[in-house]
Amino acid sequence: MTITTTGSLGPMILQSLAPAMLYVPTPTMNYITVCDKVSMPANGGTTCRFMRPRALTPPTIQLGNSGIDPPAQVPQRDIIDAQMAFFGTGCIINEQVILQDQEGVLAWVSERLAVAMRQAEDLILRDYIVSAASQLNAGGGANGDNPTNLGLTDFSLVATTLDTNNAYKFMSGIEGMDRFGTGPVRSAYFMLTSTELQSDFDALGSNGSISFLSQWNYPTNASALPSEYGSVANIRILTSSEAPVSRGTSALGNDVYYNTVLGKQAITHINQDGFSMNLIYRDPYYSGMLAQNATLAVKFAQAQAITQDTAIRNLVSTRNSQLGV
Amino acid sequence: MTEYSKLAKGSFTATNATQFVYLPFKPDFVEIWNYTNIKTAGASTVARAWWDAGLIDPVGSTNPTMLEIYDGASAVVFDTVQTNGISAFAAGLAFQYGPLQGHNLGNITEFSIATSASPTTVTTVGDHLLQSGDVIIFSNLSQTATTGMQQIAGIAFTVTVTGATTFTIPWATNGSNYTAFNTATSTGNVGTYKKVLYPYLYAPGVTVISAITNGATTTIDTTSAHNLVVGQEVAIRIPTIAGAPTVWGPTQFNSLPNNTTPGSPVYGYVIAVTDYNTVVVNINSTNYSTFNVNLPFANVPGATPAQLVAVGDVNTGGVQISAGSQLYPPPYVVPIGTTRVNSINGPAIQGAFFNNTRQGFYIGNGVAAVEGTATIMQEGDIVYWHAYFHDLALP
Repeated sequence: MTITTTGSLGPMILQSLAPAMLYVPTPTMNYITVCDKVSMPANGGTTCRFMRPRALTPPTIQLGNSGIDPPAQVPQRDIIDAQMAFFGTGCIINEQVILQDQEGVLAWVSERLAVAMRQAEDLILRDYIVSAASQLNAGGGANGDNPTNLGLTDFSLVATTLDTNNAYKFMSGIEGMDRFGTGPVRSAYFMLTSTELQSDFDALGSNGSISFLSQWNYPTNASALPSEYGSVANIRILTSSEAPVSRGTSALGNDVYYNTVLGKQAITHINQDGFSMNLIYRDPYYSGMLAQNATLAVKFAQAQAITQDTAIRNLVSTRNSQLGV
Repeated sequence: MTEYSKLAKGSFTATNATQFVYLPFKPDFVEIWNYTNIKTAGASTVARAWWDAGLIDPVGSTNPTMLEIYDGASAVVFDTVQTNGISAFAAGLAFQYGPLQGHNLGNITEFSIATSASPTTVTTVGDHLLQSGDVIIFSNLSQTATTGMQQIAGIAFTVTVTGATTFTIPWATNGSNYTAFNTATSTGNVGTYKKVLYPYLYAPGVTVISAITNGATTTIDTTSAHNLVVGQEVAIRIPTIAGAPTVWGPTQFNSLPNNTTPGSPVYGYVIAVTDYNTVVVNINSTNYSTFNVNLPFANVPGATPAQLVAVGDVNTGGVQISAGSQLYPPPYVVPIGTTRVNSINGPAIQGAFFNNTRQGFYIGNGVAAVEGTATIMQEGDIVYWHAYFHDLALP
């Protein structure tokens, strides 16, 4: 008996494309989430200017009975400037690719360009914050480095600093509920930090009324953000794999993590006249004499400023353990 | 094929420093003509240099620069610079560092730091290859378990080169709590430093304070370039060190808490910029405590450095025109001395936060591999360059 196998009668077309694209590993983008957003007008020059009035001295001295007015105060203000910058990238795609490839090349390249642009927005904000925000070295950990790993007291200290500076918290608290394993969550600032520190958060333990509370143990997850890992004291922790890490630069040569803790209006993201997220497609007609190449590109305008320097601190730390990741 | 190729050309007069050329692209081929040496032949000089990003030396795995030089006998020969010749760069992300330098690490074999008043001298065994204005960060400066210079580890320092094997950093290490450090004799031969490849991607920003001179106005020194301008509004942060309350000292500078107008931060304004790391601020600090960097070795863990922070400005115009400048000059950084390095931006209000990311190529001071002494250019040389990014590169 002769059996016909694929060795003698194989398929004419060996492969078929699975129906969906695989996902692209993409970091969570936390910095843009916590920014104030401002748009500069068109024809508005190169620089966005913010004005913040200064507080007047409260009149705590009584007038007495002299009938004489006290001296007038001179109102003052602070001015913060930020210069607009423009960014962009794109791809040149030959018409044969569009004509012959089985998948929708223009569709998925458009999507990747959009993600690249959003990621650029976040990375620019990240590096700007590292360069411009005041630094507070962690000292509550026990690893003997400078900065140390994060200890519970560091969370308390940075929240105390921001409270003393009269920063506004982002989130109101979550009241406790009668659910097993949950606990109330304080009103909170945000901390933007690295996923590499999650194991450190899990190991924080407790000190008096302060302990790490996993997001899973909130009374309700309704207000939790997708990247929220948990909370400590008055700080809710958002993690991302693209949070800033300075490799090997601590006093002992370990990795240094810039954990940005901030309140409302601490950082402002600025665009110009909606000049944000321009996806530009030019069909091959606009290329050379044979009209062979299409282009897909993104372009955006962005500036950024720390608009409340008192409401932001980089709580700089190392890790408790270099294991993992 | 040139439809999408990028071409650029230009010229400059060489200085002693690495020459950076900013471009709207990262080139894959660069050619240099040293007109000074082409016009007047001299022994051990370079007439022409060219570099291709795709060329990897099969022996050394380097990306060399090719040279046409006059050798020691003034004969025209061909040579290469194997490292630190022409290179392309993309300065778009923070936290990029050069290789570790330390005990038999990098291009040196040892380094030592002597105690002294500011500036402190660092001495290397082997050419450190740094240039004035470079920024470095030290780690592991423990001479023993309880002595050394861990106080300055983890801080970004601008270096001033004083010789091929010496450079200084702006910090006083003559306090009683500092001990001389040497990688050759430290326990375990620990101790490293590495170069921050692209400092000042955003400016102005936060810098570490190395000294404060009190008076009717206050003079502040920083460990790296402050990039502040006259009219800049600044905050000063003087943290309290647990267990060492006299370090850093003048907490009166702190913006908050403010006892006069509770809740309102106190700021100062820059009234003079002396150089890259010194500014004068309009704060009367006559009766303030004395700034003190004599941090005990044991108190280093968790110690936050004193900081000078740009928070705003009171300026109404952009950078003023000067000889040879654009009509509307862009904002700039000052990495060393008083030398301005323009950003690639358009004009902005002086003191505005600006983006200083950039790309292009640079020309280092590496020497000809065979001839042994010639560098691509020397101070005063007239150099013309062409840079390309090709549509088609095979393979």
